[in-house]
Amino acid sequence: MKLEIISFGKISEFITGQEIEVSEIDNTDQLQQYLETSFPQLLGMKYKLAVNQNIIQANQQLTENDQVAIMPPFSGG
Amino acid sequence: MDQERYSRQLILKGFGIAAQEKLGNARVLVIGAGGLGCPILQYLAAAGVGKIGMVDDDIVSLSNLHRQILFDTSDVGKPKVQVAAQKLRTMNPDILIQEHRLRLNQHHIFDLLESYDLIIDGTDNFESRYLINDACALLQKPLVFAAVSGFEGQLAIFNVEDKDGVATNYRDLFPIPPKNGEVLNCAENGILGVLPGIIGTMAVAETIKLITGTGKPLINKLLHYNLLNQSQYELNISPAGNYDLPNSKADFLMINYDQTCATASVFEEIDVAQMQRLQTQEAALVIDVREKHEFPILDKEVYLQVPMSEFDAFLQNNIEAQNIVLLCQHGIRSVAAAELLQEKYGNTKKIYSLKGGISKWRNHFLKK
Repeated sequence: MKLEIISFGKISEFITGQEIEVSEIDNTDQLQQYLETSFPQLLGMKYKLAVNQNIIQANQQLTENDQVAIMPPFSGG
Repeated sequence: MDQERYSRQLILKGFGIAAQEKLGNARVLVIGAGGLGCPILQYLAAAGVGKIGMVDDDIVSLSNLHRQILFDTSDVGKPKVQVAAQKLRTMNPDILIQEHRLRLNQHHIFDLLESYDLIIDGTDNFESRYLINDACALLQKPLVFAAVSGFEGQLAIFNVEDKDGVATNYRDLFPIPPKNGEVLNCAENGILGVLPGIIGTMAVAETIKLITGTGKPLINKLLHYNLLNQSQYELNISPAGNYDLPNSKADFLMINYDQTCATASVFEEIDVAQMQRLQTQEAALVIDVREKHEFPILDKEVYLQVPMSEFDAFLQNNIEAQNIVLLCQHGIRSVAAAELLQEKYGNTKKIYSLKGGISKWRNHFLKK
């Protein structure tokens, strides 16, 4: 399955916008595990996933060409 | 109302005298008079918002001036709210400017919020942001959230119902505050002066839209802005339902906001390499909190088996080890166990939870 990954803030320093080809990943929980294994820097961070611009609040099925965004919190002012 | 002053927005199609009167009757509190707060205060005052409050306990410093454009070089060393109030009163003498020279805390935040209809968060730290979010959510006060980091900004409106009657708040995005040091602030990370100017003026635009009922405000949306490529990305926020907000003022006062970020670092989520290091170098006690029927069965010499169903009883005993690692199948129950141990031992022991659990690090646990 082909997915488009978009990341923001500090996360975009180690996950650059890209298309990834994944097998055996059907849902956002599996994708999250895949991302945290591929990019261990994510393990110590707070972030939120969104699929096609909708924030994910529970595990959700992924489909071909979904756009997944990884958003960290900002606090600066 | 001085119609000449506001004439250029009064003649706007879809705005007019009714919208201007709504602005004149509005009471807006701006928390933080820094990079975001300065342009926010200036445009609110210029637009004719009737009562503007500002909260900040800081004084002007030289390194503020590249982005905090209400302040001059001659203001260095003076209280921010005092300088800002003076300049805003000169700019628009028809409105009321209220100074609150204090650092926001949970004991006075309710009294402060009471006299305002809308709150704008332009603070620079997570403690304040969660404090403001929770108080506004409890009071159902509309909150305009603005934040910056590096070359990027975020903007959202909380506690305002959309057409389906749904309202969200910051905890629907990020239920748990980041640990201290996890996210860098402007002082550590740097900030291009114009960025809070852009995000701050966008926050005022949203505020004016909300007050006057103009356009489509960012209700239940998070807008991300990137200055480097001039791009915007919008996320739709839905209620998470997986966190606890204080539901009364008494509950609210029980939360230690100073330490919600600090104590979070007492127990830490770690990966399997960190766990191995703790086992070999720190003689860490590793506790498997899965129930006895769960597979794979781990070596009981290495992993102490304390199922969650027996954890309360186990807590009655005293643990000698200084470093304790908790693990389970997916790293969820182990977090709950870590919280229980943290409650008992506080800062006196180092407590860790294996993130992702055995299923994530299957190869490590199954190797002979």
